[in-house]
Order: sequence, then C-alpha cells, then structure tokens
Amino acid sequence: MERIILHVDVNSAYLSWEAVYRLQHGARIDLRTIPSVIGGDEKSRRGIVLAKSIPAKKYDIQTGETLWSARSKCPNLVVLPPSYPLYLSCSDALVRLLKKYSPKVERYSVDECFVDLTGCTQKKTAEETAWEIKERCRTELGFTVNVGLSTNKLLAKMASELEKPDKMHTMYPHEIPEKLWPMPVRKLFLSGPKTLPKLYKLNIFTIGQLAHASPDLLQHHLKSHGLTIWKYANGIDDSPVVPDGRAVKGIGNSTTTPFDVDSEKEALLYLLSLTETAAMRLRSNKMLARVVTVSLRDTNLSFYSHQRRLVSPTDSTLLLYRQAKSLFKEMWRREPLRHLGVHLSDLVENKFYQTSFFDDTAVSRQQAIDKTIDEIRASYGADAVVRGLFPHSGIPPLCGGVYEAFPTMRSLL
Amino acid sequence: MKVLMQSVDMICCTNRDGVITPIKFRISDEKEENRIVKIDRILDRKEEKLAGNRMLVFTVQSIIRGRECRFEMKYEFSTCKWFLYKI
Repeated sequence: MERIILHVDVNSAYLSWEAVYRLQHGARIDLRTIPSVIGGDEKSRRGIVLAKSIPAKKYDIQTGETLWSARSKCPNLVVLPPSYPLYLSCSDALVRLLKKYSPKVERYSVDECFVDLTGCTQKKTAEETAWEIKERCRTELGFTVNVGLSTNKLLAKMASELEKPDKMHTMYPHEIPEKLWPMPVRKLFLSGPKTLPKLYKLNIFTIGQLAHASPDLLQHHLKSHGLTIWKYANGIDDSPVVPDGRAVKGIGNSTTTPFDVDSEKEALLYLLSLTETAAMRLRSNKMLARVVTVSLRDTNLSFYSHQRRLVSPTDSTLLLYRQAKSLFKEMWRREPLRHLGVHLSDLVENKFYQTSFFDDTAVSRQQAIDKTIDEIRASYGADAVVRGLFPHSGIPPLCGGVYEAFPTMRSLL
Repeated sequence: MKVLMQSVDMICCTNRDGVITPIKFRISDEKEENRIVKIDRILDRKEEKLAGNRMLVFTVQSIIRGRECRFEMKYEFSTCKWFLYKI
C-alpha cells in the first residue's frame, strides 16, 4: 500500500510566531507586512538574522547574515530579539493540531513536522486533509504553513518548498519530472556548500540532471553521499515517520564568546564549561560517548575541527574534558577565537561499561561524583555547584544548550 | 473599535462547569484615576489559541458615562490576566 506523507513547514517561523503573539497582545502593526527580522544579541556578538519577513527578503536580506549588514541594506529594518519559550509553545500547538489527524507525527525540527496519513483519510481525500490542516493553522493558530503531500518524506519535504507562503503542494512520483527535476540542484535536500561545487564541476545544475547522471560516477566523486543524493533526485526514500523523535545520534554544545578568546587558559575554561553541559545531557539521556570532537571558529570566521575516538565509551565530564583539552592543544593555531564547540558522538547506551587496562583507576569515583553533582543541580538549580575555576573568570560555568529541545536543522530524514 | 489591550483588575465568576464570566473591572485612565465598569451583558464568547497561546475573548456591553458601549475583553490562561482589548 502506498504511503501518504505530509510535510508541514511554518513560513518564516520565528518571525510569524512573534508577529502573531504581538497581534494577539494588541500590537497595531503586523511584523510580517513590514521589513523585519528576528536577530540575536549584538552585544554578546550573536548578532545575526535568525528569521526574516517577506518584505525584508525583497531587500535581499539573508538568514544568517549579520544584523549590521542587514541594516545597511534596509535602514528602516525592525529588529526583534528571539523568545525561544514562545517558539516552543507555538511548535507544541502545531503538533497538537496535527495529532488530531494522525497518531504518527514526527517533529522534525522546531518548525517542521512530518505526518503519516496512511489509513487516516477515510472521510476525506489526502488533498482535502492537507488543505484543511493548512487552513486551520492560519485561522486557529494565526500563522501560515506550507504543506507538502506525497508518498515519502523526501518528496513531501521538497513539495512544501515549492512556492511560499500559505500554499499546499503535491509531489507524487508521477509529478517528479514536471515539478522536481526543473529545480536547481541547490534546492535538493542534503546538497549543501560542500556538495554543490563538486556537482557543478560535473555539469550538474538541476535536480533532473542529477537524477539522470550515472550513480557510479556520483559515487566515484562524492562517495556514498553521491548515491544518497542521486536517490533523492529520483524521489527514492523509504525512511519512516518516527512519532517520538529519533534516538539521539550525537550531543553537541557550542557557544559564541562575547569577547575574542586569545589565551589558552580562557579557551580551556570555555571548553570545560561546554563539556560540563554536554556531559550532563549525555548522562541524562543514559548514554556513553565514544567520539569527542572539538570545533573552533576564529575571528575571520574560518572554521576547523578535530575529533578522536576513545578506547572505551564514557560519560565522565573529566575524561571527556581531558580528550577535548588535548584535541584543542593539538589543533589551536594561537589565533583569537570567537566560537568554540564540543560534540559527543557514536553514542551507546550506558547499560554496560567496558573496563580496560588503560582506564583511569578512579572511574567509579568519577561516576559517583558526576551523579551527585547532577542530582544537586537537578534539585537546587544548575548554578548550585560550580567548579572553583569559574568564579571571577567572566566565563559561565555551564555554557550553551539551554533551548536545544528541538534542533533547527537536521541532516537525516 | 480601537485596540487598547490594557490590563485591568477584574472580578469574575467561575461556575461549577468551569465557565468563566466577567462581572466588573477596574481600569485606570490617563489621569491615573480609577474607573469601575460593571459588565451588563455578554454578547459573545470564544476561545482563541493564536501562536499556541490560549485566550478567552468576550464581546460585552456596558453603560459607560450614561452611554451604552460595546467592547471586547480578553483573558489569558497562561498569565491569568484580564485585558480591555478593544473599545
């Protein structure tokens, strides 16, 4: 039986949620009708455009560009700070509405959901249901969405990207040559800045050209990723809609620093602070990590990273930090840094712990102290216990990871 | 009607079924003087959940300065606040 999959994508999510909330509270101007953006805090150097209105788009303002450059393009630009708790409650409201149509709703990111409507469309056709969902979002929740309808997640997602805002599109397999293939290849899911130049070199500019290219050629140039995007270009995808979100694949934590970090001592304090939060999340997910990655971004915004596989997986803050520290010392070129990140991956469940000859003798003591600290923080707040290195250092003892309940972007369907 | 969205002190009644009915409210005007308005009739009540934020919207009628006025009041569940929304 052919599946029926819907992809629901909120149009300029952060901005329209902010606009609707303000209108509900008596604002006279709808932010969606004027050039406006949601931007990070400039004082702590997170001043980038997070979401933009359609009139702001006409000034060629891009998501991710600095507020300074956005203002130079449009001097009357209205800039508003983000309010993440509001966005989470809007996202919850969307999921609640979708769950009235099917029990299989996957929150793909904060503003995107997949709905498996297979077997849930007895009274109405799939198109009527999709249209109804779109209309209900607008009238009941006040924000507009794009709905894509197809037989798998990839095609549904590509359909919802077609024309915005407030539209419903279908992209059934027989419509691929007409709707998917004329699109530029950069619009295809997973063809990003690393993949595109390689495709352009192969004279592939549209999704249709990619679909007709030889899979062997693509595999030769792009390895297994070549085959994946070739399948996507042909509309082949069999990933299921996972209702309760998927298992965590990796836990990352990063921060943009409010000042340029140019001493090793400060950088290591940041790494410790990031590892502390990431390891806490690792433990609360009952996982152990086997791979530690440290990433750095310098003041010229060039990005580089290093990773290492551990002999045995661990969840100990101290052991993870030791690895992060040695990775950092190997890679840092002593230039000032503005962004640091720690990522823990290759996760396994913490049901078993493989001891080894090379283990620190104090592993069980470390586990006990981590557990105790986690419990104190859970009961009395995250800042109830902090390491003695942090007071008066100007660096927060627990960095990042506050509102990462739902990722904003994913690379897996 | 003009959008005001001014918070007010409210006396309301919640019955056994959980139905909320506004009775009278106090509002301070531009001169910081308090005015008490009794709600005479509730013409319409509806629930809105714009941006996922639940609010009750009442269209009501009262006599203000000897004149019959129609206006809208809002009750926000998340903050338990009452507002004079439109008049």
